[in-house]
Amino acid sequence: MTAGTAQGALGVGKFKFDSDLIGQLFIIGLAAGTALAIGYFVVAVVRGGFLRAVDETSTFIGKFFAWSIVLLTLAISYEVFCRYVLGAPTDWAFDLSYMLYGTLFMMAGAYTLARNGHVRGDFVYRSWAPRRQARMDLALYVLFFFPGIIALIYSGWDYFKLAWLLNEKSSASPNGPVIWPFKAVIPITGVFMLLQGIAESIRCVQCIRTGEWPQRQHDVEEMEKLILEQAQQAKGEKA
Amino acid sequence: MLTAILGYLSFPFISDAAMGVLMLVLFLVFLMLGFPIAFTLMAMGLGFGYYAMGPNIFQLFVQRTYSVMANDVLLSIPLFLFMGYVVERANILDRLYRSIQLAMGWLPGSLAVATLATCALFATATGIVGAVVTLMGLLAFPAMLRAGYDTRLAAGVVCAGGCLGILIPPSVMLILYGATAGVSVVKLYAAAFFPGIMLAGLYMLYVIVLAMVRPQVAPRLPPEQRSASIAKIVWELATSFFPLALLILGVLGAIMFGLATPAEAAAIGALGAVMLALAYRNFSFAKLQESVFLTARASAMVCWLFVGSAVFSAVFAYLGGQKVVEDFVLALKLSPTGFLVMTQAIIFLLGWPLEWTEIIIIFLPIFLPLLDDFGVDPIFFGVLVALNLQTSFLSPPVAMAPFYLKGVAPKQVTIDEIFNGVYPFLAIVMFSMALFYIFPGIGLWLPNYLYGPK
Repeated sequence: MTAGTAQGALGVGKFKFDSDLIGQLFIIGLAAGTALAIGYFVVAVVRGGFLRAVDETSTFIGKFFAWSIVLLTLAISYEVFCRYVLGAPTDWAFDLSYMLYGTLFMMAGAYTLARNGHVRGDFVYRSWAPRRQARMDLALYVLFFFPGIIALIYSGWDYFKLAWLLNEKSSASPNGPVIWPFKAVIPITGVFMLLQGIAESIRCVQCIRTGEWPQRQHDVEEMEKLILEQAQQAKGEKA
Repeated sequence: MLTAILGYLSFPFISDAAMGVLMLVLFLVFLMLGFPIAFTLMAMGLGFGYYAMGPNIFQLFVQRTYSVMANDVLLSIPLFLFMGYVVERANILDRLYRSIQLAMGWLPGSLAVATLATCALFATATGIVGAVVTLMGLLAFPAMLRAGYDTRLAAGVVCAGGCLGILIPPSVMLILYGATAGVSVVKLYAAAFFPGIMLAGLYMLYVIVLAMVRPQVAPRLPPEQRSASIAKIVWELATSFFPLALLILGVLGAIMFGLATPAEAAAIGALGAVMLALAYRNFSFAKLQESVFLTARASAMVCWLFVGSAVFSAVFAYLGGQKVVEDFVLALKLSPTGFLVMTQAIIFLLGWPLEWTEIIIIFLPIFLPLLDDFGVDPIFFGVLVALNLQTSFLSPPVAMAPFYLKGVAPKQVTIDEIFNGVYPFLAIVMFSMALFYIFPGIGLWLPNYLYGPK
């Protein structure tokens, strides 16, 4: 095998796997995920009401981009394979890898919020009654969360627009892929976080009214949480 | 009225540095209100930033956010998490425990030693403390109680063993430290390798000595349970212990010998974990899906914290709050030893109410610039911190490990019994920190040998 064929190891005929294609695929993936999420949201609002629609949309977009981890694993493994076995590293894997990583965690932000998964300093909070927790949360959503996220959307949009107008390319590698689609992740994330923040605030209001936190929808849970719940149930049955 | 207040606030006699200190103090107050910390940090950074630099803060904010998104050190975090979730969901813990237990049957306190060894290996592969403690709490804890072990000893072993995974490389904690301190993750891994093994070894030594001195707390198994044929032991180890051990050593070796970056090794490790799970016929699309979704959530939790802390710490430094802290510490005229004792004591105390992610991402950046002033090697400091943070899982009142164990333990086991069992292991952690301080070579020999003194 010559170095030439090794370079385009994934190339079939005219189809060549390079930075340009990576940039295009990233745009397609991002646009598809975002469009599907918006469509999902519209349908869900009509069918199930705002709160549920927001939860489900955040979960949908988080899970859609969660699959980036599989692509990331494969892309990096392929790069290692090319370097050691074919003796010809790719020129796109590095850019692709941080783009996938950044998209993964940003887009999972709203999903994590919908699962109450962002870490809290809760050693005092935990001992409060639900109503008190909800009052404090609601106040801080207004005081901290919304200003922060609105600033993220506002500044992220400017940041994206500048890169877009310049058709900015990655400077991390020579002949890098376009980077403005990756920068678009910031304002897109911001909008979905904002929606989820509104949903969480509504939850707080419900809790203040009823004195109990509304149930969240079922989703996959951490092992310890599952086991602890099972143990709790088993003990309850015995007692 | 509002403008009057604002005008008063920005009046020149409140210096920027004083605002910086105020920022830190207010953060400590807000931290306790229980709101998701990432957003508290973000809002405070923006608020104080707007005060200090006006609308320029928005540009700084988005640039700092982007720097987290394009960070090639943090890139390996979701990969290691993914590998961990795949191993965790593959249901290989019970056969791993059985094989190690068979191989160690001849030792005094063999069940407890096997528990520690299983915890160390499994926790290193998964890096998820809660999962290890609860799973072992269901598997090893009842087994030890049935064999007549003292409840406190059994509890201490499960809790202490479950936490080893964040110390022994390849651990996510050291990646976070590397990203925060700007030091090489590769060197950190090399430096933490032997101290991690040492701590696990000291735990085992303690159990063995205790079992010999006071056999009533850890009775020997009846002969029929501890005599297995050599062939059976070898077979069990070869099918259960070695594949996972080789996976971890392969990942770690590739990183330490410079064959692959941490992210590359983690990606290959994740692929390897999937193959391992498939080989055990314990994997399905549903399990892959669970691992993928949990990875996304855990990554978001850690990386959003980084986004918040990136803007917070930039503004804190801009205001000169960092310098005030530095001047204050320098004015104490501490010796390097005094400085180390003070910082480690603070980290230990922070570990009571807080979790290690918050300590590393938010509080360590305050100490790190001081290392230079005292001539402390950041790698050495990192390993000390990693040892120290073992205690943050174990020490009351917010001790994750004991509470997880309490959740799965039989009803008659009280939380006090569990804490009493954990204290000796806390003492061993402190002892190993002292050992490492007196003989830094335990950790630093390996990176110096592999990469030369810096």
